[in-house]
Amino acid sequence: MGVALRDILAPYKRRVGWDGMAGSAAIDAHNALYQFLSIIRQPDGTPLVDADGRITSHLSGLFFRTAKLLEMGVRPVFVYDGDPPALKAATIEARRTLREDAARQYAIAVESGDEAEAYRQARSATRIDDAVIASSQRLLDYLGVPWLVAPSEGEAQAAWMAAEGSVSYAVSQDYDSLLFGAPDLARNITISGRRRLRGRTIAVEPERIRLAEVLEGLGVTREELVEVGILVGTDFNPGIRGVGPKTALKLVREGRFATVLDERIPGFDPRPIREFFLDPPVTNEFMLDWRPPDPEGLREMLCHEYSFSVERVNGALERLGVSAGQRTLDQWF
Amino acid sequence: MLRATIDADVFREAVDAVAALVSECRLHIDGGGMRTRAVDTANVAMVSLELAPDAFEVFEASERALGIDVTKLKNIVGTVNRGEKLMLSVPEGGQRLNLAFQSYQYSLTLLDPNTIRKDPNAPALELPGRVVLEGARLTNAIKAASVVSDKIALGIDPEARAFFMEAEGDTDNIRFALGSDEVESLSDVRARSLFSLDYLKDMAKAMSRASTVEIGIGIDHPVRFTFEIANGKGRVVYLLAPRIEAD
Repeated sequence: MGVALRDILAPYKRRVGWDGMAGSAAIDAHNALYQFLSIIRQPDGTPLVDADGRITSHLSGLFFRTAKLLEMGVRPVFVYDGDPPALKAATIEARRTLREDAARQYAIAVESGDEAEAYRQARSATRIDDAVIASSQRLLDYLGVPWLVAPSEGEAQAAWMAAEGSVSYAVSQDYDSLLFGAPDLARNITISGRRRLRGRTIAVEPERIRLAEVLEGLGVTREELVEVGILVGTDFNPGIRGVGPKTALKLVREGRFATVLDERIPGFDPRPIREFFLDPPVTNEFMLDWRPPDPEGLREMLCHEYSFSVERVNGALERLGVSAGQRTLDQWF
Repeated sequence: MLRATIDADVFREAVDAVAALVSECRLHIDGGGMRTRAVDTANVAMVSLELAPDAFEVFEASERALGIDVTKLKNIVGTVNRGEKLMLSVPEGGQRLNLAFQSYQYSLTLLDPNTIRKDPNAPALELPGRVVLEGARLTNAIKAASVVSDKIALGIDPEARAFFMEAEGDTDNIRFALGSDEVESLSDVRARSLFSLDYLKDMAKAMSRASTVEIGIGIDHPVRFTFEIANGKGRVVYLLAPRIEAD
């Protein structure tokens, strides 16, 4: 869910269009999969499924979106979450309750024939399980796109890879990436041009946020931006009721971070959270090796196993330069 | 470290030859000149470029692999007037390629070579058919074929002692044959393979100015085009995987 800093970040978002996205990109895999699973649904909230009833929304999103990224000159690497930090336990528990509740509401809505409500609840009930993760990783292997599992939070690892220069930018819908130190954050690139937001369909296009511009514009350091996040609430703490990003920014700028926390949440220690944002567990053990896609493997997995349309899969492959009947140089190397 | 001066046309020809297939590459520089070898994203075509030190007016380099944004470089080099000199430099350990010409000073950020696909090995290919012909004739035939189809067969008919190209569209077809007296050299070996015209059209642009192009072909094998650039001080090799005939 991330940190609700949108109101103060709006002036620093730059719409760049697809031309400005070429380069290598570390993508928060769970964030992208969650979007695919929650958005790619029928009007009554039913996800896409294959003949055996297995969910395929995430595979559809991942395949067609990755094909689009490759076509646009983006070299993606997907970064999966590792073990969640202990700090996140409360958030994880709260999300589970929310999901279970949404699943119950979904069943009720389906029964009463309320399509809009069913769609809304189905989205809230979205969960990423081991089967979703394993099938997405297998698909990436066939696409020739590298992926890795972060030691802890995927977006922290992606932010670090961008900061350290292994990739050109980090990709996530969540602003936490900035708190984790991503120098260049791209949003709206793992979702399609049109997106449903609060029941309405809106057009979205890629945008980028540069951390240096945010810090300079807001007149804070990254450490202080993390403090703003802590006051508003992050995945690791609920924040202070009634304090939004503008108020939080004002409090931090006035140097009242510690005193406000003391007054409003006595006994709360922000240090582990601050420490986690500023120095999260990351790894440099990864290989960024982009290979050409394996058209046979992709057709076998998507068309045969998961009943995708052969025409659509071939169409996407053709955009990647893989025409039906076209051989690759592999067998002669 | 790199310090080089080169005729803008010569460098443009070299960059265009690479840009026809890839948008980024690892450019290896050392005392022996500049070299790159790269495959396109679909692994269907490969380009290999060599520029000897004497293709340059000045050339000094210490060994290094530079990550080059080829598309950007092509756009910059495309703006240099004919006959101008182009100065290229990268300081020792520097992360930017400086390009100076006329009154322009470009500074192009180098890509991290680790984020670019690894250089492919030189493929072990036995291509028995060999034809040498004028670049312009080859590229004109490719253009003519693309009017009727998206694929073209290249081959040698040993009985007729001719090199042929034929393209079959949904309703139309074209055949173009050159006898052994119309080409510079032709081997008497039967050969025929089918190729995507999309790729060939891109390669043709770079081959059109070559006085001769050597073609290596086989039966359902890749095709290899070899030609000189920079007045014989440089060489480009293209390799293109075939399409399957039944398609």
